[in-house]
Amino acid sequence: MQEYSSQAAYDRGEAVCVIGAGASGLIAVKNLRENGFEVDCYERDTVLGGLWNPQNQHSPLYPNTHLVTSRSQTEIPDFPMPDDWPDYPSATQMLEYLTSYAKHFGLSEHVWYGSEISHLEPVEGSRFEVVVKPAAGAAARRLRYGAVIIATGHHWAPNLPSYPGLDDFRGTVLHSSQLKDASRLRGKHVLVIGGGNSGVDIACEAAVNAASCVHSVRRGTWHLPKYLGGEPADYALARLSSRPKLLRRFLTDRTLKGPKRLAERMGVEAPGHGPGDEEPVRNGRYLEHVGDGSIKRRGEVARFDGYDVAFADGTEIRPDLVVLATGYQPKIACVAPELLGGTRDAPAPRLFARMFSPKAQTLAVAGLVEPGVGVLPIVHWQTHAIARWLQIRKSDPERAESFKLQVNAESGHNAVEHVDPRRRLVVDAEEYLASLGRIIDTLEQEPAK
Amino acid sequence: MSLTAWIRRARTPEPVAVRREIAVFEPADLFDIEIKDNPETNPVLCCTGDPAGAAAFNALWLKRIATSGRYAAAVSVRGQGGTPAAEGGPDAKAHDVVQAAVTVPRQTVLIGHREGAAWAALAAGRYPAAGLVLVSPQRFPKQLPKPVGEPPVLLVVSESETQSKEVQAVSEEYGITPLTFAGAPDDVFKGANAEALLDTILSWLDAQKH
Repeated sequence: MQEYSSQAAYDRGEAVCVIGAGASGLIAVKNLRENGFEVDCYERDTVLGGLWNPQNQHSPLYPNTHLVTSRSQTEIPDFPMPDDWPDYPSATQMLEYLTSYAKHFGLSEHVWYGSEISHLEPVEGSRFEVVVKPAAGAAARRLRYGAVIIATGHHWAPNLPSYPGLDDFRGTVLHSSQLKDASRLRGKHVLVIGGGNSGVDIACEAAVNAASCVHSVRRGTWHLPKYLGGEPADYALARLSSRPKLLRRFLTDRTLKGPKRLAERMGVEAPGHGPGDEEPVRNGRYLEHVGDGSIKRRGEVARFDGYDVAFADGTEIRPDLVVLATGYQPKIACVAPELLGGTRDAPAPRLFARMFSPKAQTLAVAGLVEPGVGVLPIVHWQTHAIARWLQIRKSDPERAESFKLQVNAESGHNAVEHVDPRRRLVVDAEEYLASLGRIIDTLEQEPAK
Repeated sequence: MSLTAWIRRARTPEPVAVRREIAVFEPADLFDIEIKDNPETNPVLCCTGDPAGAAAFNALWLKRIATSGRYAAAVSVRGQGGTPAAEGGPDAKAHDVVQAAVTVPRQTVLIGHREGAAWAALAAGRYPAAGLVLVSPQRFPKQLPKPVGEPPVLLVVSESETQSKEVQAVSEEYGITPLTFAGAPDDVFKGANAEALLDTILSWLDAQKH
């Protein structure tokens, strides 16, 4: 290490730097290697698998986490999960899957564990200099790469709401990521705050483990069961996508009629938009727990007061344990927001086609989307496109030009930015995949002559 | 695999899962000789159209491949050997091959014989094989997917087949010239001809730096 800590940066030539060895990072490494690139992947933790690895000290897993999208819609397109696995694999199986993916393609040897990228900046035109900060001891070192792919995910910085009196609350308050073990719920009076997938899953855990469970939900969300018409729900809905628009709409409405009525009966109002406009809640047990009274739904929390929690409707309860299932804030700390199209005041990235930096040709982000379907396949096609782009960028200037035009055109939907910060990463899976398909075609098809 | 092909597949029902018979021979299984599994080399997964399935490779192939330092495996697709029959045409059988491929510890070479060559070629359209070896291909699909990850492809046919339309179509499809072996296309599992064929394949694999 000594030689790197000197003033001069160590030059890795055309090699690509991938930040993060979670699902997105691993897929990026594999696809870059497949396209002939040297890759160095930096992982701040000491294990791979990112959020799926409970040994990761920042892991957001909560008790009994399962996939909310089904196996066939979630597996990496060119490395299927074993077909004797259940439709909705557990977090443990997901880690097993990612580990075997890494082993199968020999990815681990390209990963530097316990190394955080503290800073990166463009140098010499299109190249990047990164500062690697080892977890322990050794001095930071600087390296230069031909390109950088950020694959750090967006489930690391807990989003913690503030309520009057929360700091002086006498009970226990945990963020969902701190609730590692369902036994913490046992015998307690539990309040779960947050109506997303994690809040709903944890409310279900509390329904069967805790003494009582109150679930505070601020607004309506789409509730989908995990199965529709005898098939995994996401698969059943995706199959309808190939139909003509009007028929598709009719069939979708018909398929969702039953679940919608049940949700209404349980006091869950459906929001104004369709289920594709926001990550829907996918849980088949929740509404039944509401129906048998083991989960009591309440509105927004107004304030905390000593041992008590008061709701906006004036009612009060006295919980032992409050779980904040209030999600995460997307945060990319290692790079100046301007490089990803943000500003100092509004640092949220605004990327071309949700992955390419608008400022630097050789900087891209993988997996910074919420498509409402499995994210792994999307990342696979994203990183496939990124790898192809890096390949032709120099070798084929003509195609590179048409690619730039294409990507610019595809980024049209970025202009209509969701005002709601919670929905900033949401994309329509159908549209986004079509857009990725067009980008890949531009990169791969023989030019018409 | 193109994105559209993947979308189409993800939206068609998956073939019924079957418990597949997979025969494995690792270099470590060879007690009599000192050969180590070389992690620099890619494993090999074989399949054949012969109804015996994986068992057909037991007589000669698996041990000989393992002797070359490679992890050797063979799979019986649905209806072959010890794998129960289940519904599904060539796509379902290709699914069986892919499912077997992902259980192999490292990125694997696919070797297909007869109809097995067609299944291996289909499988290589969904899984980035480290190499694709087609031995006397038969009933090849008209619409052939482009192999994922651009693996090297080898076509080996018996002398009697070189002029067949099928072989010519396959060699045109991949833009490669077939190598020939002596003997009948179904007689590849044992005997001197089979050994010569296998040596050809193994030396080709070694030349691919995998």
